[in-house]
Amino acid sequence: MRLLRCLPFLLPFSTALAQSDPGALQWLQRVYSATQKLSYTGTFLYQQGQTSETSRITRIIDATGAHERLETLEGVRREIIRKNDEVVCYLPATMTVRVDKHPGGSILPAAVPGHPKDLGDHYIVRKGDIERVAGYDCQVVLLEPKDNLRYGHRLWVDLNTGMLLKAQTLGERGEELERFVFTDLQIGGYIDRDKVKSRFSRKGKDWRIEDSAGIQANLSEAGWSIKAAPAGFRKVSEMTRTLGGASGVGHIVLSDGLAAVSVFIESSAGRQAGSQPGLVRQGAINVYMRPIGSHWITVVGETPAESVRFIANAVEYRKPQ
Amino acid sequence: MDEKFSSFLDGELDDDELDALLGRIRQADELRLAWDTYHLIGDALRNQLGNEVVSRVASRLASEPVVIGRQRPPHRMRKVLWPAMSAAAGVAAVAVVAFLALPGAGGDPQIAVAPQAVPAIIPGAGLGKFDSYLLAHQRFSSSSTMQGVAPYVRTVSEGRNGPPK
Repeated sequence: MRLLRCLPFLLPFSTALAQSDPGALQWLQRVYSATQKLSYTGTFLYQQGQTSETSRITRIIDATGAHERLETLEGVRREIIRKNDEVVCYLPATMTVRVDKHPGGSILPAAVPGHPKDLGDHYIVRKGDIERVAGYDCQVVLLEPKDNLRYGHRLWVDLNTGMLLKAQTLGERGEELERFVFTDLQIGGYIDRDKVKSRFSRKGKDWRIEDSAGIQANLSEAGWSIKAAPAGFRKVSEMTRTLGGASGVGHIVLSDGLAAVSVFIESSAGRQAGSQPGLVRQGAINVYMRPIGSHWITVVGETPAESVRFIANAVEYRKPQ
Repeated sequence: MDEKFSSFLDGELDDDELDALLGRIRQADELRLAWDTYHLIGDALRNQLGNEVVSRVASRLASEPVVIGRQRPPHRMRKVLWPAMSAAAGVAAVAVVAFLALPGAGGDPQIAVAPQAVPAIIPGAGLGKFDSYLLAHQRFSSSSTMQGVAPYVRTVSEGRNGPPK
């Protein structure tokens, strides 16, 4: 049989194809460091399914840290301002300000991804072609998940600066779930500081303020644990916060070094009536809810439905001794 | 292309032709599928399938019993793919049986063989009501690590999805 004859011949190549290219991992490292040190201003398109939205974004790094501003140009007007560890979201339509300050946070987001080499345990990372995005020559980097608990990604990285200019999240069959792409971008050079100043901070003083009031907490001492996380997902943060008016909501974050999943634990009392268990999905985000005793678990992640359900079902409560 | 592939399988290609073909295999999804299928068969025949592969194959079979017949590859590839795919299905079935027969795996074979289907999607629900959850989550998303504040645009999605139902 032809098939059998060829098998020994095919053998040596199988392992080579299943492993990540070290050069591609270096490109990821470049993206992480570029994100920390680059200033830029530009316009990007966010596409998810049939809907898309254009936003303007500016980031300035100076001696006091990182200052960022995002303003949507289409759809519901909103402005997001980030200064180091504080994110403020202005929603003029509902005259609401949402504040999210991370306890003990720094310039870097708290969940610094694992060493890119660790990513190789759960993704096959390869280099693709050189392609142009927003006028910049980019190296394409592909991350293909090794199981169905995470999504694939295709990244376009600027050859000169390492900045990420386009990112695609891919579903199980390689279909696009969402896409971020710059259509116009200036990297470095002079950027007017006005571009990172809020247009709403003055008016916003009279708006309804929802502060997440996050505080680091030990939720296992309170009896909550995740008894079996999917392969590669580790706990990276644990806190309590205020969410939608309810205080003392537990928040546990798991990450595999790339994909993050948040587990929210709140008392049923604080929840609006009519909550039902099940899944809500939109683009690359899946949300799964289920009750445990007198509490509700809400799991949010940029991971497949299977993965958020798995984590939600692994949440366990044991009355502390 | 499929003639080249056949010659390759018969070990009739010289080094240059082999390099060229391998380059194309890496780029062409269809060829990669054939390639992966052959490897799966090879691994199975040598009894080198990891538990992960076995359970993945098993769960695929459990949830999508007709998947092999449903996906029609492009005409040119069919000649190569069909025998391989049916062989893979046979091997997968054997693998499931073998897995169930493995000592130590007998505790609760249901876990590996019949995973729960993906949970029911709540009809008409958008992420709008999860905005504050998304905002809280976003900070930890690696996309925020790689793209700065841009992914925060995912929050506040009511406007994108029409009025709440």
